[in-house]
Amino acid sequence: MASPEQIAAQILNTKSLAVSQNWLNTFLTTSNSAQRNLPASALTKTALFRVLASDFRESLSRSPSSILSLQVLDIEDIGTSLWSQVEAIERVERGEAIRGREVVRTIPMGDDNEGADNGNGRTNNPATPNASGSSGYGPHRLILQDAAGTKTVAIEMKSIEGISLEKLSIGAKMVLQNATVARGMVLLNPGCVTLLGGKIDALDRPWKEDRKKRLLERISTLQGT
Amino acid sequence: MARKILCVAEKPAIARAVATHMSGGSFQTHAIRGNQYVKNYEFEFNFGAPWGNCSVTMTSVIGHLTGLDFERQYKGWLSCPPGSLFEAPVKEEVDKDKLPIAENIRNQARYSKALFIWTDCDREGEHIGSEVRNQAKTGNSRIEVRRARFSNTERAHVLQAAREPVELDEFQANAVAARIELDLRIGAAFTRLQTLQLQAVAEILKEKVISYGSCQFPTLGFVVDRYLRVQNFKPETFWGIKVMLQREGKKVNFLWKRVHLFDRAAVIMMLERCLLAKKAKVTRVNQKPKSKWRPLPLTTVDLQMMGSRFLRLDSQTIMKVAEALYTKGFISYPRTETDQFDKAIDLKKLVEKQYPDNRWGQYARELIDGKFRTPRSGSHNDKAHPPIHPVSWVNPSQLNENEKKVYEFVTRRFLACCSDDAKGKGTEIEILYGEEMFHANGLIVLEKNYLDVYVYDKWESSQQLPNFEKDEMFEPTEANISEGKTTAPGYLTEPELIGLMDANGIGTDATMAEHIAKIKEREYVVVNKRGSGRSKIEELIPTRLGIALVEGYDNVVAGLPNSISLSKPFLRKEMELRMLEICAGSKTRQEVVQQSLDMYREVFIHTQRRIAMLKTACRKYLVEQA
Repeated sequence: MASPEQIAAQILNTKSLAVSQNWLNTFLTTSNSAQRNLPASALTKTALFRVLASDFRESLSRSPSSILSLQVLDIEDIGTSLWSQVEAIERVERGEAIRGREVVRTIPMGDDNEGADNGNGRTNNPATPNASGSSGYGPHRLILQDAAGTKTVAIEMKSIEGISLEKLSIGAKMVLQNATVARGMVLLNPGCVTLLGGKIDALDRPWKEDRKKRLLERISTLQGT
Repeated sequence: MARKILCVAEKPAIARAVATHMSGGSFQTHAIRGNQYVKNYEFEFNFGAPWGNCSVTMTSVIGHLTGLDFERQYKGWLSCPPGSLFEAPVKEEVDKDKLPIAENIRNQARYSKALFIWTDCDREGEHIGSEVRNQAKTGNSRIEVRRARFSNTERAHVLQAAREPVELDEFQANAVAARIELDLRIGAAFTRLQTLQLQAVAEILKEKVISYGSCQFPTLGFVVDRYLRVQNFKPETFWGIKVMLQREGKKVNFLWKRVHLFDRAAVIMMLERCLLAKKAKVTRVNQKPKSKWRPLPLTTVDLQMMGSRFLRLDSQTIMKVAEALYTKGFISYPRTETDQFDKAIDLKKLVEKQYPDNRWGQYARELIDGKFRTPRSGSHNDKAHPPIHPVSWVNPSQLNENEKKVYEFVTRRFLACCSDDAKGKGTEIEILYGEEMFHANGLIVLEKNYLDVYVYDKWESSQQLPNFEKDEMFEPTEANISEGKTTAPGYLTEPELIGLMDANGIGTDATMAEHIAKIKEREYVVVNKRGSGRSKIEELIPTRLGIALVEGYDNVVAGLPNSISLSKPFLRKEMELRMLEICAGSKTRQEVVQQSLDMYREVFIHTQRRIAMLKTACRKYLVEQA
């Protein structure tokens, strides 16, 4: 069986994440015997998967390093107006999508639905609605958090594959190297960001559910000022 | 005695025009009993083999001969539950005012060897042709039936159509029959249901018929949808970066590639990064030929959209005027989806016909003297009619104001199609300033070509840019934050509405204008005129009743899986697609009628059950907010 030290070293080498000893010990003692008998590489994989789904404040050690390990707490598209995002979300709620001037239904009609119930009937639809209402072009503003719980605002200066409202979940993890900071904002460029994936379910679900409500609240505060 | 052939056109004016060409101008005119518009024109004509020289009676109908209606016991508003109109027996009968016309056809058929149908060559015309045939067969069961295929009333074209008749297209006639039955049943069922239920809700609805039509409601839906978008709109502030350079005595404004962002702090940070870099670098200097493409050949939808934009006429007026110009033989058939000219058409000959005009005659001459280009081809072809084009020149003094405008537009458009694209030289300068990209564009128009005749398009030279070298570094004269606000979309205009109807399969190019006129007439929509002169805009605004109906029907299906509101285009579009299947021969009329009735019956049942939703919406807008 792999030792906690071996696993920690593996994850540090491959993903630049400094996993805390305490967390690893708990991970090993709570995993079942079948898992414990796995070869070291498979066990490391499981551990990494858990780390990416965890809260960094619990799973990482807080040793200072030139490489920053961060998790996403919020993402916004600052290239699209809030209202047009609300309109797009409402279109999706109505089961519609826009193709040029054409309004398209994204929910299959009753009689054409036979046999489509064994799975989801939506996947083969030509117009895949953008549930977030974002244009997808960004740039995006993110709120990131490190293991110590410190939060920073980050701006996507150049488009980064994987940073979009559709693709990036709340709690997703990334590491930053040599990033510039200006006016208190971390500037994200493809060269300094490595996205590791993952998400924190307990944060991601409510974030998605309440997104329209939050947009509307922000709009009404803007109108008030 | 020579054989006799009976010819029947869709309108008296077409009958007269065709008779004039076939007879070479000498024909006898006979009035018919009971109708002052329809005339019989008699003359001789040589059809060539196999008919040879025949005596011809050319007459016409006036649109549809017959109408479909419910049996008498279902006609009263309270005679039956509205839902039973989905199945109630219907019968087709000759309209009362058309009885003399039908009788004329039966009488004339009795002595004729063959019937040539000269109705307009579109779906509706095919159905009218089948009505004419039925009357003729009643008069003479052995009469042979042919159909003339023509798309304008120009002489050579008419003579060719007379000598090369084809068969009536039963599929198209059936598609129209299906549409007529569906419109009757669905329209009557919903109209009765909503009228009876809503009359009691508000004082102003008491005496009112609240009519429903499966095209009108989605049309209304588009107007309401846009209206609500405008009403609900929330403006937001955005920020951008403006960069300006003074060089060679000119101010060059560079536009930010990101255009603008909705986060002020981020924009300030980005501007600071630019200023920190001090110098901008020219990353691209691009000079390339630019062209503005000449327009595509003219379709009905385009005529209506462009017409209401440039000629300031509503789409229904444009269609009426175009129809008149067609009937008089000045332009080709104005109902067409085709935006490509057939190779067989002699376009140069059509251009030559415009020589006498003192506005574009000279231009037409230049085209023939070497500037002629084969028109671009669009992707639509209805296989029935060419794009709309002038077939002969007409002296403007012979036309009324509106006819002049429409004829001028059709002709200028046609000449533009036969011209070269406008040519110019474009310059694009791209710079990198800090991490941000900016660009400046310049344009010099070198040859106007089609723009000289097509005065509706604009393409003008911009300010000339000073010289830039790739990779050169410069310090911008100014770099600032700009601020702006998002603005609400405008209320829907008629050209936009036609575009939406076209894209969403509501109505055909021939009927769209009627549907728009209907929702105005029903007082679901009013026209709001704004501005004056060239900037005059006519906006479509829904009335309270219009909004109430859309909101009511949306609420009726809210939360029901797989149910579609009548305010949406989806149901009608399905139906329209099934009509095409009849035309293609892949579905029968009965199949399509049943399937479409089932679809609407489901919504009808929901509406009956949840009628309270519709009443609540009407009360909200017509009583509480009135």
